[in-house]
Amino acid sequence: MNSSSKKVLFIDLERNTSEVKTFPDLYKYIGGIGLGLRLYEIYEDKDPIIFSVGPLNGFFPYASKTSVVFNSEGVVEDMYFGGYLSTRIRFCDLDSIVFLSKSAKDAVLDIQNESAVFKEADVAPKSLGLPGKRSFVSFLDKKLVLDDYFTLPENILEKKLQKKRLLGFSVTGTGTFTVKDETKYEELYKQLLTKTPLLTVEKGFFPSCSGCPMGCSKSNVGEMGGNVLVHSLVACSFAENIYSDVGTVFSCLNILGYDYTHEDIENLPALVQNVLKNFS
Amino acid sequence: MTKKLKVSFPQKCIGCELCVLETQRQLNKVGLEGALIRVFRNKKADKEFLEYSIDVEPRINDLDIESIRNICPTEVFEILEDSNDELIQ
Repeated sequence: MNSSSKKVLFIDLERNTSEVKTFPDLYKYIGGIGLGLRLYEIYEDKDPIIFSVGPLNGFFPYASKTSVVFNSEGVVEDMYFGGYLSTRIRFCDLDSIVFLSKSAKDAVLDIQNESAVFKEADVAPKSLGLPGKRSFVSFLDKKLVLDDYFTLPENILEKKLQKKRLLGFSVTGTGTFTVKDETKYEELYKQLLTKTPLLTVEKGFFPSCSGCPMGCSKSNVGEMGGNVLVHSLVACSFAENIYSDVGTVFSCLNILGYDYTHEDIENLPALVQNVLKNFS
Repeated sequence: MTKKLKVSFPQKCIGCELCVLETQRQLNKVGLEGALIRVFRNKKADKEFLEYSIDVEPRINDLDIESIRNICPTEVFEILEDSNDELIQ
């Protein structure tokens, strides 16, 4: 886990190539929507689709979403998938996966840690990667679905993927990480788990996102828009009461070895706003 | 008698993977690789929801299995006392 820069896997659909780049200067964007928008700004000419996670995904409960930034008919959209993708990208030791340009033919991708292998279009994404450690995006009855269950509020991402001729992909993350102060980490983790009454969604027995004990009925519909800090972390918006608290976020980041200050966290919305201004 | 973790109610699993992550934390790591519990999901064509199956390695019983049982929000696990130990003795 690199706690002083952001690591991004770029997949060029036109050239069938992939490479990992590290960005120390994007550290201040934290992750998710912040990182995604800044990457979009840098790579706008390649019409990117950017899947991003935050530093807490895989490490703390309710940090269970993946942000997706892309241009849909001239508008830069941000959407949020539930499911298992966020932990898998995190365990790839990546902050973002960026799809650039457009494929010349229908393609499916097998992403494992820092590598991407192009597959023929008739390969099912769910057959790729490692069982129990993968997450996959595929088309089910023409609808874009993550892990056979989780969807997005609108169908604009599926149109975008179809336009790029990307029919699906699987992400397998096999990385393991250590936290320096295990005792404090465990304490904070368990403390956050007791905060389920602060979530603005009812507990249920529906398929849950990775790292979330709620099993709520809303997990499969994804999210659009919302709190910049929460979406930079990329936590569930139903956990906004927990992850919009700067003190809590600072504690979580600090225990994982990130040296963000309170001011860095407080200033994030303005930083993201500045990027957004450049689009308008 | 030895205490053993048993997957008694897999049909109640919601796939949150908190048990997997708890097990890994007890081994001082974060991630899925080498986990002693694995959660597999399956979607049957005629079903709306996912079904989960849970594989547990016997070595899990060397860990704090009460914490693993307790972290599950839907009480999938039970702790059983293995009376075979007495027979062996």
